[in-house]
Amino acid sequence: MIELKNITKMYDLNKTDQVVALKDINLSINEGELIILKGASGSGKSTILSLIAALNKPTSGEVIVDGKKISKLPDNFASTYRRDNIGFIFQKYNLIADISVKENILLPLIPLNPNADELDEKLNLVMEKFKISHKKETLVKNLSGGEQQRVAIARANVNSPKIIIADEPTANLDEKLSLHFIEILKELKTAGKTIVVATHDPLFFDLDFVDREIEVSNGTI
Amino acid sequence: MILIPEVLTILILNVIFAFFSTIAFFLSLKIYLNWDINSNSTLQYTLEKQSYLTATIIKYIFIIKVPLFLFFIFTLDKISNILTGAMCGAGVVDATDYGNYLFVLKIINLYVFAYWLALHAEDMKHENQPYTKAKFGFFTIAFFLFLSEIIVEGVMFGSIDLNDIVSCCGTIYSSSTGSYISQIFAMNPTLLLSLFYGVFTLLLIFFFLKRNYAFAISNIFFILISIVTLITFFGTYIYELPSHHCPFCFLQSDYYYVGYLLYTLLFTGTFYGIAAGFIPTSDENRTLNYKKSILFNFLYVSLVTLYPTLYYIKNGVWL
Repeated sequence: MIELKNITKMYDLNKTDQVVALKDINLSINEGELIILKGASGSGKSTILSLIAALNKPTSGEVIVDGKKISKLPDNFASTYRRDNIGFIFQKYNLIADISVKENILLPLIPLNPNADELDEKLNLVMEKFKISHKKETLVKNLSGGEQQRVAIARANVNSPKIIIADEPTANLDEKLSLHFIEILKELKTAGKTIVVATHDPLFFDLDFVDREIEVSNGTI
Repeated sequence: MILIPEVLTILILNVIFAFFSTIAFFLSLKIYLNWDINSNSTLQYTLEKQSYLTATIIKYIFIIKVPLFLFFIFTLDKISNILTGAMCGAGVVDATDYGNYLFVLKIINLYVFAYWLALHAEDMKHENQPYTKAKFGFFTIAFFLFLSEIIVEGVMFGSIDLNDIVSCCGTIYSSSTGSYISQIFAMNPTLLLSLFYGVFTLLLIFFFLKRNYAFAISNIFFILISIVTLITFFGTYIYELPSHHCPFCFLQSDYYYVGYLLYTLLFTGTFYGIAAGFIPTSDENRTLNYKKSILFNFLYVSLVTLYPTLYYIKNGVWL
């Protein structure tokens, strides 16, 4: 269960000016729900995602995930929370171009220091699931956009997170690949993941497996 | 004013430390007065961000200051080479009116800094940062001790006149000078040794009984009695001279710098002992502090005991 209570987030532009990204918003997301946050660029969608992922702290209000006040976590505990609970899919994938698919996918597991067998097992599981096994040793820079997206999804799932967060996941994909991504989302939803997607791609609207679509506009919902 | 590279290093570091610690002081005061971990207000989130920055500033100042104490002693020793009459750091400490105060302040601060670092380390282990208010409140007091040290240190180095002839340690720590220190040296060595080994025995008893406060307080007594016996009794066996009572000479190469080892063992052992009583921590960490304390204190006692024992075995008499 994710709860955002009376969240306001302001960013400093300079010493005197601030921009209000979110204005006193309240939002509850149940476990296993798939939520679409839709709205124009700059409406505050990504800020909501960054707060849920504990990448950012609110200016006021609180973010509670499974009863834990994650907006109050010190940085070292916020990192552990992200590692254990969050799978993040970024608009530009945020993969490391000069290392292989396998190495990119395994990155989130490095701090856990698992043994080689455990690593192989988790790696093979996500690579098969997201159909990227044949590119295991390929450098990421040699992959197509769609393949990079699948690597990003595999990386987001390798530590079996409860929550998947996707920020404009289809912004760099053509329609066919976007539809494929939506199919993957459906599978993740079926697997019981809580999913929050921020997008303004109309392909995501009115999908039957989406629980709620929430319009974000000028920092309000 | 004496400006050798070592003194310049200390003074420049002090200016940097004073600047950053003043910033940290005002932020600490703000955090201490307004901290409420349960609040979701803008002020609290601002304080949470500032607390991380402030704690980092204080942490690095103190992490540098603790080993800098040994560098300070090394510097005194270096100055003694160019100060007429001084044979070791003791002459430099006694060269001005501020040396002894500075030395006492530095030893107190050593424990204060280490206590803050231990409290901070404990605070960072918990999600709800239970000791944040305490550690910043503690710093607002420690800051004045820290600032006093910086000022007295600057004044002391500024007051050293190379044209003056100063006393050597043989005169300063002589039992015939009539000073407070000389009265300590006039005390019966048997009584002092009984106190020294007696307090160490108490440490062992409280270690096995796990009496936190008693163990911590015994450690405070142990620091005092250890320093006194080191100067009055054990030091004479390190120098192999019955009349030489100096807490600095054994820091020199003639004595294989054994003083640095002795002081490090004593200060580390007693700090962990005090921490075992006064640092709020888990049972596991407290047990670890107990073990570290007793280990370092035991090594200290063994090492100082070794000198008279070896002397007796070699010569068949006591000094």
